[in-house]
Amino acid sequence: MSDLPGLFDVRVKARSIAYLFAVGATLGLLTLAFPHADEIRDVPLIVLAGMAYAIAATLWALADRLRDWHIHAVLAAGTVIISLANYYAGPSTLYPILYTWTALYSFYFFPMREALAQMVFLAFAYAVVLAIQEADMVVVDWLLAVGTPAVAGILITRLLGGIQHHARELRESDERTRLVLDTAPDAFITLDRHGCITTWNAAAERMFGWTKEEAVGRTMRELILPPEYAERHDTRRLELLDSLGQLATETYEVELIRRDGRRFPGEATVSKVESGGEVFASGFITDTTERLRRQAEREALLREQAARAEAERVAEVVGGMQALVDAALAHRNLEGILRDLVAQVRGVLAADAATIYLADDGGRLSVGASSPAGQAVGEEFAIWVAESREAMLAQSDALIGVPLLAEDEVTAVLVAGAEPPREFGGEALTLLRLAAERVGLAIAHARVYEREHRIAETLQRSLLPDRLPDLPGLEVAARYLPAAAEAEVGGDWYDVIPIAGGAVGLVMGDVAGKGLAGASMVGRLRSALRAYALEGHDGGRVVERLNRLLWTEAEESQMATMLYLIVDPAASTVRWVNAGHPPPLVMSRGEARFLEGQASVPLGVLPFPTYEEVAARLEPGDALLLYTDGLVERPGEHLDHGLELLTAAVRGAPDNPQGLLDHLLATLVPARGAADDVALLTLFNLPVPEEFSAEFPAEPESLAPIRSMLRRWLAHAGADDLEIAEITTACGEAATNAIEHAGTMNGARFEVWGQREGGEIHIAVHDHGSWRREREDDHGRGLDLMRTLMDTVSVDPGEQGTTVSLRRRLGRRGGAA
Amino acid sequence: MSDLTQVEIEQRDDVVVARLTGELDISVAESTGRKIAEAVPSSARGVVVDMSGLDFMDSSGVSMLFGLARRVGSHRQQLVVVAPTGRPVSRVLEIVEFGRAAPVREDVDAAVTAIATPQA
Repeated sequence: MSDLPGLFDVRVKARSIAYLFAVGATLGLLTLAFPHADEIRDVPLIVLAGMAYAIAATLWALADRLRDWHIHAVLAAGTVIISLANYYAGPSTLYPILYTWTALYSFYFFPMREALAQMVFLAFAYAVVLAIQEADMVVVDWLLAVGTPAVAGILITRLLGGIQHHARELRESDERTRLVLDTAPDAFITLDRHGCITTWNAAAERMFGWTKEEAVGRTMRELILPPEYAERHDTRRLELLDSLGQLATETYEVELIRRDGRRFPGEATVSKVESGGEVFASGFITDTTERLRRQAEREALLREQAARAEAERVAEVVGGMQALVDAALAHRNLEGILRDLVAQVRGVLAADAATIYLADDGGRLSVGASSPAGQAVGEEFAIWVAESREAMLAQSDALIGVPLLAEDEVTAVLVAGAEPPREFGGEALTLLRLAAERVGLAIAHARVYEREHRIAETLQRSLLPDRLPDLPGLEVAARYLPAAAEAEVGGDWYDVIPIAGGAVGLVMGDVAGKGLAGASMVGRLRSALRAYALEGHDGGRVVERLNRLLWTEAEESQMATMLYLIVDPAASTVRWVNAGHPPPLVMSRGEARFLEGQASVPLGVLPFPTYEEVAARLEPGDALLLYTDGLVERPGEHLDHGLELLTAAVRGAPDNPQGLLDHLLATLVPARGAADDVALLTLFNLPVPEEFSAEFPAEPESLAPIRSMLRRWLAHAGADDLEIAEITTACGEAATNAIEHAGTMNGARFEVWGQREGGEIHIAVHDHGSWRREREDDHGRGLDLMRTLMDTVSVDPGEQGTTVSLRRRLGRRGGAA
Repeated sequence: MSDLTQVEIEQRDDVVVARLTGELDISVAESTGRKIAEAVPSSARGVVVDMSGLDFMDSSGVSMLFGLARRVGSHRQQLVVVAPTGRPVSRVLEIVEFGRAAPVREDVDAAVTAIATPQA
């Protein structure tokens, strides 16, 4: 049976019954103390009284732990005792009185049904007693004797119905309270003045492991308090209960023990409660294990966060410094360094703007770079920083500046600014101071490099041909790509030299010394080579002379590699001398191969090396590629690999000079720039057409190119050497006439047209002037030459100019003599 | 192109040898003729124009030679041209019958000898 519907606490019931028993026993003994009838036997009654006293004492003592069924058992036992007492006392009025009392008690304390059951049992026991003692009693008297107390009990109880009803309301309210308490997450315990537990909710059961039945009536110190807290607990409770005021509340932390002996931390909120004149203590107890654990976790987390923040702050300072130094050391030109640096400073310091000022030799500052670009910040402040030579803050810490020193000179000032209310702190100052030293050096070095690099590059560029010559039947193109700025300017050079007879000299060289010395040596080699080449020397001798020049005049250990090629388009040949240079590449019918063989030592290595020419065919439609090692050498890779890459790149390249070079640079040079200088030179021996038509300026300088073109074309058309010489001479006469006809007209031009018709060569020269008869001797000779050297010559002086038409059948031996 | 024809001057006793290389056309003919003429002092007995190293010559070169022949002739000096047979230059000289103005020889030695032994 649940205790919940119980109207009163079981202790109240137990103690009431104990009173009842004690009173009953006392009444019985008092009866014996006075003069009484003989049939009343003293000894059994005294024994029964003693039993009643014992039960009463037991009830009193165990009141805290009793349950309802104990009460019922005691009441049954009481009935038995009363019945026996009645038996030994003989017929008396004692029994109805006790019977009535008991009825009242039952109806008052217990629900109707239980009270009726109790009364039925009592009535039955009474009936048995009457049947024994009053055997002759009539049934009506029995019923009256048994029924009267029962009816009286019911009636009196009904009279007290108001109380009963009120009590039920109280009980229901109490039920709700209990429900609330039992579903509460916190343990709720009430204690009486003596420290006995009077309330113990479900949460308390869960928390401590003691059931309500086990807990109620016992003390906290018995169940849940550690011994060391016991004393303090008692003191506190008494202080609380004795305190003035209706409601006193206090909260304190305690350590508590579970049934299994485990201790746990808790928080108790204890209140003094006065109810119905009774003062007791109530307390909510919260298990704070979880809360403390979370709190500890949070504290640990906060500590960790704080530690991490500190570590990050330190890392940021160090990283920021490194970023600045990296920006300065990233090998690029000064402009790049400065641009990177201000951007990094802005990022690292979270600044709104950053500017670096460069100091010139006189100490004057000028803006080197700004971020955002073009927005210089703190110019006057920078001057101040430069003068004080100290990192400092200004304008309510919205400006920060640091001087960059190199060799004890202020070379630059770095300034960063923040929009108020943001400001810089000591950390920023520390960071900039740390970075300043190395950044300053890097900038100083970059400036020196930059200056020398610029001079050397200018000098070297001046040594490269401004424009390449126009060569009939040939097309040349070149590229020169200086190394990325941190490297010194290399000694690469190339040249294209037209040689008499329509040949052309191609030069590609690489002087080992870099910088200014290298560039000046390039200049000397270049002019010497031009001179030797034009003197008509054989390629081997030209290179031998250059070697001599380098050997005798250059500084120690200066040497150069070079290629010298002589392309003769008329003969479709190329002759070359290679002095330790990467081999030239010849591209023929979609195939690329290197011109190997006879590679000799570089210039400047031996005093008297021999350099020999090697010859190869260079058919119309073929092309040559000359390059310096910057194109094919890669750090840590074998040169062969670079050469393979080059041939592969050439195979996939466009079939024209400019396109080829652009393609090679795009394919072979890293996007960040070449590590070494790259020079490229290509010559395309253009295919010879069956028919050609070309226009030339009407000036004597056009004659040599016309002859080159003609020789080449005639060779292709099948003319032998003599035929080529004679036809070229004849056409030269016609062209000379055309040039003379133009006179001093500016920008006049004339056309040369040629066609091979079977075995016959047909060439026409058309000008826009008029046929003149002056200088009869020369013209006569010219005409004579043409008529002698060609089969037919016709001059057609028309309105639009003069056309000289020349024809000659090939294979005509001898000619006119 | 001023360096189309190169002129090397050599003195052999009282004969001046002018060795021409390259190509000779109207663009350089005049200046080449002047260079040779200036290289011949009045004390010299004659001048040899060595055209064996010349790859090309046209009628302007021929005119230059005729002019030179007239000029040295007026100084009572002799002109001998060296042009080996079979070369383009000798072919041109043949066609314009330069032999009528001045002797043409196969090599420099023959030419110098021709000047050393004055003709009638």
